[in-house]
Amino acid sequence: MNDSAPKPVRVVVLGGGTAGWMTAAGVAKLLPGLASVQLVESEEIGIVGVGEATLPHIRGFVEKLGIDEAAFMKATHATFKLGIDFRDFGRIGESYIHPFGSFGEEVGGVGFHHYWLELARHGKAREIGDYSLAVAAAKANRFRPPSADDSLGSTYGYAYQFDATLFGPFMREFARGIGVERHEGRVVTVERDPASGDVTALVLADGRRIEGDLFIDCSGFRSILLGQELEVPWEDWTHWLPCDRAAAMPCTHATEDLRPYTTATAMPAGWRWQIPLQHRMGNGYVFSSAHISEEQACDAIRACAEGAPLAEPRILKFRPGRRARSWSHNVIGVGLASGFLEPLESTSIYLAQMAITYLIELFPAAAGAIDPRDRDEFNRLVDMEYDRVRDFLILHYHATTRDDSEFWNHVRTMRVPDSLADKLELWRRAGRIEKYSDGLFYDASWIAVYVGQGLLPEVHDPRAAMIAPDALARATERLRMAVTGEVAAMPGHRDYLRGEAARLADAA
Amino acid sequence: MVGGGQLGVLAAIALRRSLPGCEVIVIGGQPGPASFADWSPTAMPFTNKLHDRLGIAEADIIAKAGGSYRLVTRLSGWGGAGQGSVVAYGDALDPALRTALARDRARAAGAHAPAPASLAQVLAEAGRFAPPPPGEPSPLAAVDYALRWHPPAYRALLIAAAQALGIGYVEGVIDRIELVDGDDNIAAIGIAGQGLIAADLFVDCSGPQAAVLAGHPHFVFTDWSDSLPTRHIYCAAPAAPVIALEDRVTLTSAGWVTEVAGRDGRHITLGTPAALPRAAAEALLGAPVQAAIALTPGCAAEPWIGNVVALGDAAARFEPLGPLHLDLAHRQLALLLEMLPGRAMAPLERAEYNRRSGLMMEGVREVLAMHFASPEAQRVFGSCALPGRVAAVIDQFERRGRIPFREELPLLGQEQFALLVALGWTPGLSPAAKAADPAAETSARAAFEANARAALAFAPSYGPWLASAAAVSPAPSG
Repeated sequence: MNDSAPKPVRVVVLGGGTAGWMTAAGVAKLLPGLASVQLVESEEIGIVGVGEATLPHIRGFVEKLGIDEAAFMKATHATFKLGIDFRDFGRIGESYIHPFGSFGEEVGGVGFHHYWLELARHGKAREIGDYSLAVAAAKANRFRPPSADDSLGSTYGYAYQFDATLFGPFMREFARGIGVERHEGRVVTVERDPASGDVTALVLADGRRIEGDLFIDCSGFRSILLGQELEVPWEDWTHWLPCDRAAAMPCTHATEDLRPYTTATAMPAGWRWQIPLQHRMGNGYVFSSAHISEEQACDAIRACAEGAPLAEPRILKFRPGRRARSWSHNVIGVGLASGFLEPLESTSIYLAQMAITYLIELFPAAAGAIDPRDRDEFNRLVDMEYDRVRDFLILHYHATTRDDSEFWNHVRTMRVPDSLADKLELWRRAGRIEKYSDGLFYDASWIAVYVGQGLLPEVHDPRAAMIAPDALARATERLRMAVTGEVAAMPGHRDYLRGEAARLADAA
Repeated sequence: MVGGGQLGVLAAIALRRSLPGCEVIVIGGQPGPASFADWSPTAMPFTNKLHDRLGIAEADIIAKAGGSYRLVTRLSGWGGAGQGSVVAYGDALDPALRTALARDRARAAGAHAPAPASLAQVLAEAGRFAPPPPGEPSPLAAVDYALRWHPPAYRALLIAAAQALGIGYVEGVIDRIELVDGDDNIAAIGIAGQGLIAADLFVDCSGPQAAVLAGHPHFVFTDWSDSLPTRHIYCAAPAAPVIALEDRVTLTSAGWVTEVAGRDGRHITLGTPAALPRAAAEALLGAPVQAAIALTPGCAAEPWIGNVVALGDAAARFEPLGPLHLDLAHRQLALLLEMLPGRAMAPLERAEYNRRSGLMMEGVREVLAMHFASPEAQRVFGSCALPGRVAAVIDQFERRGRIPFREELPLLGQEQFALLVALGWTPGLSPAAKAADPAAETSARAAFEANARAALAFAPSYGPWLASAAAVSPAPSG
């Protein structure tokens, strides 16, 4: 510790949902002694809590906080996740898995997908997912953690599917255990410094004043501080991502098999999710209210449910987009208060986690010492992350041949952001991926969606044609056999959870 | 392939190996000394990987091209007289140790000899090293290194490899460029007295005059003069062999001096903001001037136009302040291999190459500009503009010890951290670092010390080891 340690920065988190308790836990754990954390939440308001599927990054967050994976999985009835199965997106009847892993490997500096495209040209290619261990394991409903060496068994990652209504409370218990102070109450007034415009305190309905130096707005779509109080403009992306509602309805499991993946099935006005947890199946329909009514969506999800409903459908409303600035004055938006991208690629918790990570990286040195350069850097990083995820999500809608509904006709023919249009054109003309090393979704993810949704390039790398088609077919077949062998040696997903039951599972 | 220097020949090998069915012809000889990539006696660790991929054996470079190893570069004087520290390669330090070292740096601002911050430094200071056996666990496995060589011998090695691959060679000077009617492509280039050579792809490795690219009607040069102040370069001829694991980059009152140790002698280069009398330059070099070069820094706005792609000094001209020329050229070459087109090049493929290649060049410019941002450097070179995100990086470093990520930078985060320290900037400590668990830092320090002891025990004495590795062939010279 610094000998002349300044007074801890008083952090006030507004909102006790997933983002709020993740933020409180992260700041309290990673900035001990430098920040005191209070969280204000109201049981009257409730939480959105549909973020049931995650990305592999969540593992790093949980580990960094020192949370035991077993305790966390048990408390949230979590299952393992190897990717997302997208059905009917490119064309009705077709499906593909976007895995947390690679397809084959680069040979001679040429990406595997070029060889696969060359094989496809000769009519000798199997599905590209056959060359991905994560895809093959997912399809077989098998799971084991990846190996730590650089063998084939290390070529995938995993995330969790958990009960989001239990994740928040789990994080709450953890955060309170490390000193986060919780205040139950509804905010009625936001006090600000007349000179700087900074927020100075939140006044609750019962008159309590919660003072702070730094306020984290995790109040969800209401965005009480960033949106309502500071009036930071909202950049609306509905024209690219028209889904603005979800009808959520949990069900029982319909079969004994427990999928180690999330399923996203395209629907006439959006898509529906199926997220297998240990004790139930998360189920819901993300839809565009401009194209169907809430009643129609509820009827549709009832009709599609494979298991027995555990509740009536619950409607959630959202707006895709983000605030022009996620950090304004001394208020930082985390989660839905700063932006929302629909859960098609399970990015909600990632985006909250990303903001928390950058906040800790750029945390003020002392109370009242926010440097505008740190604020600008935070906003630059957050914007980049949102923009990249946005383009990737739009791709799922735009790369389609579907013309069976108004919704699909709109997304198929809409003008996409220039940043995505360039990526698409580069792929279409040359089979290449625009590279970046920062942010989310790298080559394998883009390839999964392009190929999976039937968007094949006009040409591919000429070096892939230098290997005789038969030799190429034999080499890829060897890879496929190796993948098949690895999968055969894995236990079933449910068996793995049962085998680890004392550690991981209370209801498997 | 226009330009037969060490860059052009390696690029020819790369293309030939990538597309064995294509005919590759190298046109023209060794570019002049202003083509720094072609005369560089060293590169960075990226080149080792490229060599592996192209079948250029490290053992051959050691045995036949006067090869030797650099583990660290010592920078001196950039933060004032007596200030300096070393920069090693790699990004493998334990985060807790990184925080501990940053704390040391912050506390010991201005101290002359901070504790070693890498295994490479420990080894270099002890004079012990041999490259770790590839793919095998060893106490040296995490130590990254750069190779040095005698440029003419290295070029000869590459020429032999090129000949074995059937790469053709045409001696001569380009006297005209013939464009394809109606598009951006070049149909053929004329060689004085020898007629036309037609090709699908022209790679310009001809040095700073960019003999082909600059002749293209759409060529645009982006001037970097406002941010890179070196205008004159003086090179000394290497003399007596120097066996060392360390190279040096020093700021003097007249300019900067780089010293690259080699079995063919010490390669010394001086860079100044204004021309010096020969005697003054020789006094600073400590040796006779072999070449004096005037420099206007900048880059091609688009290094790939039509069917012409420029590499090395033909794409970007800048001072040889460290081994960035060949590193940039080789990274651009690897990008060309990654994006290797067939006969039909999609405009967006070129655009993507130019985007990433442009990021690489701007990254080099930013790393160089960091050298001239300190008050001490500005006393010598005058005030310069800080391009791109240099000001933001230095600000983040000074206040928080943070290195923001940047795509296609020639240095990894830890390398950039060490460079800024060596240039005299003091890292700040972020609140997270201040709050870090002291026990984790203590155990990280203990682990580092144990690793250092193991590395020192494992590594042989460098001089005798190098002599034995090179024994099959004496050091070339001339």
